[in-house]
Amino acid sequence: MSILLSAFACQKAPEQPKRFALLSAEQTGIDFKNSLKPTKGFNILEYLYYYNGGGVSAGDINNDGLVDLYFTANQGPNKLYLNKGDFQFEDITEKAGVAGTGTWSSGVTMADVNGDGFLDIYVSNVGNYKEAQGKNELFINNQDGTFTESAADYGLDFEGFATQAAFFDYDRDGDLDVYLLNHSVKNPEVFSKADSREKSFESGDKLMQSQLAQGENTFVDVTEQSGIYSSLIGFGLGLGISDVNNDGWPDIYISNDFTENDYLYINQQDGTFKDDLQHRIRHTSRFSMGNELADLNNDGSPEIVTTDMLPSDPEIWRKSVVEDKSEVYDIKLGFGYNHQYVRNTLQRNLGNGQFSDVSLYTNTYASDWSWSPLIFDMDNDGFQDLHITNGIYKRPNDLDFLNYLSNVDKTLSQEERDAFLIETLPTVKIANLTARNTGRFNLEPMAEEWGLDQPSYSNGSTYADLDNDGDLDLIINNTEQEAFIYENKSTDNNYLKIALKGDGLNTMALGAKVVAKSQGQTFIRENNPTRGFQSSVAPVLHFGLGSIQTLSSVEVYWPNGTYQKLENVKANQLLEITQNTTATKAFNLSASNRALLTNTTFPMAYSHQEDAYSDFKQEYLIPRKYNTEGPALAVADINGDGLDDAYFGGARGQAGEVWLQNANGTFSKQKVPTMEQLSISEDVAATFFDANGDGNLDLYVTSAGNEHKDGHLYNNDKLFLNFNGKLTFSPMSLPQLGAQAKTVSAADVDGDGDIDLFVGSNVVNGAYGTNPNQYLLINDGKARFRDESANRLPKDLGMINDSKWYDYDNDGDLDLLVAGEWTSILLLENDGTGNFERVESESLKGTSGWWYSLHLADVNNDGKMDIVAGNLGLNTKLKASAEAPLKLYVSDVDKNGQVDPVIFHHQEGELTPFATRDDLIKQVSAFKKKHPDYKTYSKLEGPQELLGESMERAVEKEAVTFESAVFLNKGNGEFEQIALPQEAQYSPVMDIISDDFDGDGTLDLLLFGNNYSYRNDYGRADAKPITLLLGKGNGHFSSTIDAYLNTAETWGEYRHAQSIEVNGVKHVIAVRNNDKPILLAPNSN
Amino acid sequence: MTEKMKKFNFLMLVVAAFCFVGCDTGKKEVSIDADVYHQSMDQLSEVIVHDIFSPPIASRIYAYPSVAMYEILALDNPQYKSLAGQLNELEPIPKPTEEVSYELAALEAFLKLGTTLIFSEDKMDTYKEELYAKLGEGVNSKYFEASVAYGDEVAQHILKWADGDMYKQTRTFPKFTVIDDPARWQPTPPGYFEAIEPHWNQIRPFVLDSANQFTPERPTQFDMDKNSQFYKETMEVYNTGVNLTEEQKEIASFWDCNPYVMNVTGHVMAATKKITPGGHWIGIVKIACKKADADPMKTAQTYALTSVALADGFISCWDEKFRSNLIRPETVINRYIDEEWLPLLQTPPFPEYTSGHSVISNAAATVLTSIYGDNFSFRDDTEEKYGLSVRSFDSFTQASEEAAISRLYGGIHYMPAIANGVTQGRKLGEFVVNKLEFTNESLSKK
Repeated sequence: MSILLSAFACQKAPEQPKRFALLSAEQTGIDFKNSLKPTKGFNILEYLYYYNGGGVSAGDINNDGLVDLYFTANQGPNKLYLNKGDFQFEDITEKAGVAGTGTWSSGVTMADVNGDGFLDIYVSNVGNYKEAQGKNELFINNQDGTFTESAADYGLDFEGFATQAAFFDYDRDGDLDVYLLNHSVKNPEVFSKADSREKSFESGDKLMQSQLAQGENTFVDVTEQSGIYSSLIGFGLGLGISDVNNDGWPDIYISNDFTENDYLYINQQDGTFKDDLQHRIRHTSRFSMGNELADLNNDGSPEIVTTDMLPSDPEIWRKSVVEDKSEVYDIKLGFGYNHQYVRNTLQRNLGNGQFSDVSLYTNTYASDWSWSPLIFDMDNDGFQDLHITNGIYKRPNDLDFLNYLSNVDKTLSQEERDAFLIETLPTVKIANLTARNTGRFNLEPMAEEWGLDQPSYSNGSTYADLDNDGDLDLIINNTEQEAFIYENKSTDNNYLKIALKGDGLNTMALGAKVVAKSQGQTFIRENNPTRGFQSSVAPVLHFGLGSIQTLSSVEVYWPNGTYQKLENVKANQLLEITQNTTATKAFNLSASNRALLTNTTFPMAYSHQEDAYSDFKQEYLIPRKYNTEGPALAVADINGDGLDDAYFGGARGQAGEVWLQNANGTFSKQKVPTMEQLSISEDVAATFFDANGDGNLDLYVTSAGNEHKDGHLYNNDKLFLNFNGKLTFSPMSLPQLGAQAKTVSAADVDGDGDIDLFVGSNVVNGAYGTNPNQYLLINDGKARFRDESANRLPKDLGMINDSKWYDYDNDGDLDLLVAGEWTSILLLENDGTGNFERVESESLKGTSGWWYSLHLADVNNDGKMDIVAGNLGLNTKLKASAEAPLKLYVSDVDKNGQVDPVIFHHQEGELTPFATRDDLIKQVSAFKKKHPDYKTYSKLEGPQELLGESMERAVEKEAVTFESAVFLNKGNGEFEQIALPQEAQYSPVMDIISDDFDGDGTLDLLLFGNNYSYRNDYGRADAKPITLLLGKGNGHFSSTIDAYLNTAETWGEYRHAQSIEVNGVKHVIAVRNNDKPILLAPNSN
Repeated sequence: MTEKMKKFNFLMLVVAAFCFVGCDTGKKEVSIDADVYHQSMDQLSEVIVHDIFSPPIASRIYAYPSVAMYEILALDNPQYKSLAGQLNELEPIPKPTEEVSYELAALEAFLKLGTTLIFSEDKMDTYKEELYAKLGEGVNSKYFEASVAYGDEVAQHILKWADGDMYKQTRTFPKFTVIDDPARWQPTPPGYFEAIEPHWNQIRPFVLDSANQFTPERPTQFDMDKNSQFYKETMEVYNTGVNLTEEQKEIASFWDCNPYVMNVTGHVMAATKKITPGGHWIGIVKIACKKADADPMKTAQTYALTSVALADGFISCWDEKFRSNLIRPETVINRYIDEEWLPLLQTPPFPEYTSGHSVISNAAATVLTSIYGDNFSFRDDTEEKYGLSVRSFDSFTQASEEAAISRLYGGIHYMPAIANGVTQGRKLGEFVVNKLEFTNESLSKK
């Protein structure tokens, strides 16, 4: 039997036909190839976008029901291929008269510009620049297979650095206006102040308003009055139209290359736009190329994908220019630009037009030099998938090229030098990215399995059902390589195609939204053809439906605001819907659930002000700074009037503040002179407890900031004794710890009736990665504390971020729970007299992570307190598992008296330094001697090769999980680990509140997240400030639509949260670094 | 076996291969003329360029090997004096215990130290292998080996001395903090590099008592009032920049000496690498020595004297740069006068005052004049291989003055940085000349 089985297993399975098949030019008749002919007057050195490639537009130009294709060639004639059916195409360029006369073409889009029911073609050209000559061209369809170039007649003969155009009816007057996306060639490496985007430039972006509805076949330039930037610093490469805030009006996303921000123009519904990106998106791609706006999670709101150039192959990564050095990053911020990272983004729309970049969670952030992202349902399973084209024919970001190869023989003539440089630029051909969406932002790489893994230099791309078999085929414009026509061979799922017939001049209803519903599922499509990069799709909406046979409803929100609804629509057909209603209805998703909490106007005039110190000046390679750990927060009834009062810490130079609650729920600041005198120290954590047994609550505040050496006076923690409601600094109470203390927990640990303290520290100043001291301060009953950690606490607990007193074994004494960065969750058993020993817990052993917060609550109602633990989360470049842990090696590699922390992570299975070679060399110049150049370095085989003999001396740490989780208490020091839902993993969890927010009798969780302290190559963790999870009563939690908690007002990096009773009602107060706190009130309904 | 030992053994093998049989009986003489030292210095310069060392660090790399070379040769030459006790904290080098070639030992010590101080050791090793194969022909192998071993011993001695100069420690000091003050330095395009070596004044000087011994006059107070002196000086840079003559352009480029110029076109970045200002003067040393037909001893003296003057020049200049922390003309002009203006030369990444080239060129010219006199005409082709022109000068002073003013033409300095830099450099040079006694003659001169 076993022999039979293995024989069967060994039999080679017959080659399965893959989902996509690449068709040859012989088969299709599409022999298009974007070939380049560099000349001495026009090449990559003369024109910076010489290798950006061409676009492709899909559309049925003769209304025969077959989608035709138009390709742009940068330097050759553009081509129009007529679809004859069955993947047979005819090159009708000549006949149709659409080759164009420009000498450099970029993007192409199709739209019925003149409202005659036939698609016209609009080509963007680069003109009036060196050998690039020509204007944008508008080929008006003569309805007989020929076209007449009429750009000048329509006022659309723009001349300059054109990239792409998008037709849409932004003012809802019934005709198609157009956004002209343009770029610039001004030295992008010389930064201008960000506000220079307000200065208009002749070749800047343009918004052109069609006058067709007003009776004239022409367009008027309304750029300035409509609030569109049109400047020299806009390097526009991506243009997408979509209603991102669900108000029914089309908004615009512009991707800008180089230093300039991307723009997110929100339609103000009055003919103007407002760039509101900074209030909706916390960081973008830096070298933003193409973009795509479409719904990935079927919640009805479009996500935004932008592409950049980060390599995923560790070998290529190690020799490529990637992120800015951290000091240059700061300079750009200083010029007024947004946070931008060299990587793709996948901005998840929370439903309210607020976005969380989850590209690190989905692992779609690095697809090398990328151009066109497209979201479409490649397998018709009901979840739209993601395809990204990539490749650059000559690769200019190679570090050897920059530093070594490009140093040409100076005796050559300029011309010879240029030729040599261009010749020397390296080339790498790689496959495009294909990711299958299995729902809920789980994206799986599929290029190979689906047959889409041919190496290429791919640029523009589009999708269309070319053979009308109900699935979307894929068309890609390649540089120096024949275009790819991929036939989609899916047959396993249902679909629906919808063609809209508008009733006015917008004959194909561009801008319309269609919502299809069935079995509790919602599918939404927007009819905005310009997508990806320099390309456009056909105005036919395609829905993959999985096993759905019939849709309960199909709703159309027409571009002019009218609404139509069809019921019981059968799958597997092309449905034509003609606009025949005048009923209007505002677009409404009506899916959001009950808001359980409301953000109130904060009732105290306190705001945290962080100081400017940067740890990176001292320790260049550390992954994050420890100067922004505050503010401290503590809540208690200070003056014994029965009302909760609050203490907020200050950063260096800012005094801590005490706010007393008045009977009417307002707060008044209490002057505490000694706090003002101590404003030089940075307050990070605080707690109220009765230190001297007088019944008043005293205040302990830790001082840290990582700005001063350990032992420095300014790092000494402070105890404020409470004399009848007045706090006064007690200088003799505490030993001088001088540590970077991050956490303090108070309890009577030795059973003598007074309250003792654990003080935990998370970093040693100047020596990241080494173990700081942790402190057990024993109270003599009179508020005098002795440091007894040496004989009561185990050593080397690690870099501790949080602590809780926790009688996990219900033996009546308080045990200690601590966790931090590079540590496991550690449980220390109290022997009843305040001596602690590590608990050897099997289930906590493999939990080393970057833990930030601990919370105790009985989440499964079994009478035992469980642990909720906040980790770094999974939306990070750092990936860790037991098999592939994140590693830290700390040693003084170059013996110069400063320890060198080097982090290694697994990139495509390979253990590689997280920092670039240049950054490593800045820390340890001897690393430069190890490898003569980047190419040799790129073959690096692991820590041993880089660190050499210093490995032996190194302190080695690792992290195996970054997932925030619940640990259910089994009572014997063992725990059951349950991961928190995806939404809780989008950012580090900095503090946790539990309460029964929905009143169902089980505890829910409110997580406060975000942390901007990471070095720019790690990137700010800014994806999700607040997450509300509902408890199921068994330790499992479900996520909620909590967009209402995540608004422009509440975004920020949280540090601490606590319950506080205000006006007799339990609220939640939470503090943010360098910002105002927030106060959340329960909703009474 | 370590990599280095392997290399050393291989080297010995190469040497041995050239003496066939009876090496022990070969001649006890290695023929090394001054040209070998010049060649080796050129090689060191080339690797410094390849490895992209900044001007202050490059000056340190030139100095220690040059001193080592001089110290060994001086042992063998009764007319010359050791610099031990004259250079700060330098102790007398060990004497050979066997019969050695001082010329070879000096060469070895030079190359050994050079190799230790740069990154691309392979490039130095390859050079040395070829050179030693030639020098070792027909030479008694024990004698050859003993000379090399002695050179290494001296190199170790010098390296220990170098280790005490705070260089290592300065690697751990905080990076420079840019402050938001309109008068203070800001990073400049296109690299926006951080200011290099903000703690270079902590480096032990070779001759100076302290880094601030020749603190120049205060720079002109920043003031953008149109009638202010600072505004006038800024406009002088700007107006010179927009009206450059061909000759001014040539002069500026000739003295650019920027080891790392970033050329950026969109996403294409290509660096142009050249020798440093100090490297340029090391090149002039060679020209002078050759013209004067200097023997190995005098050649070594010239390199040692010039390289310590250059190194101290950088320490003195850097001390001032981070004291005054003055903003560069490019930043000021872009902010207040012409957003689009670019200087002819790329602004190097450190504060403006004083001009490094002015200080070190005048220090070098002063010490060279002390040896070769004021009327010493020469043809400077140092940077011909970097595609620059050849220029002729009647004296070192003339060359150093041109180097100084070239910074105005290049658009990277205001006039006070140049004028006061010249003074700073000359004073420093004179101090070095007066303090160091190379020969017994100089003793008798006093």
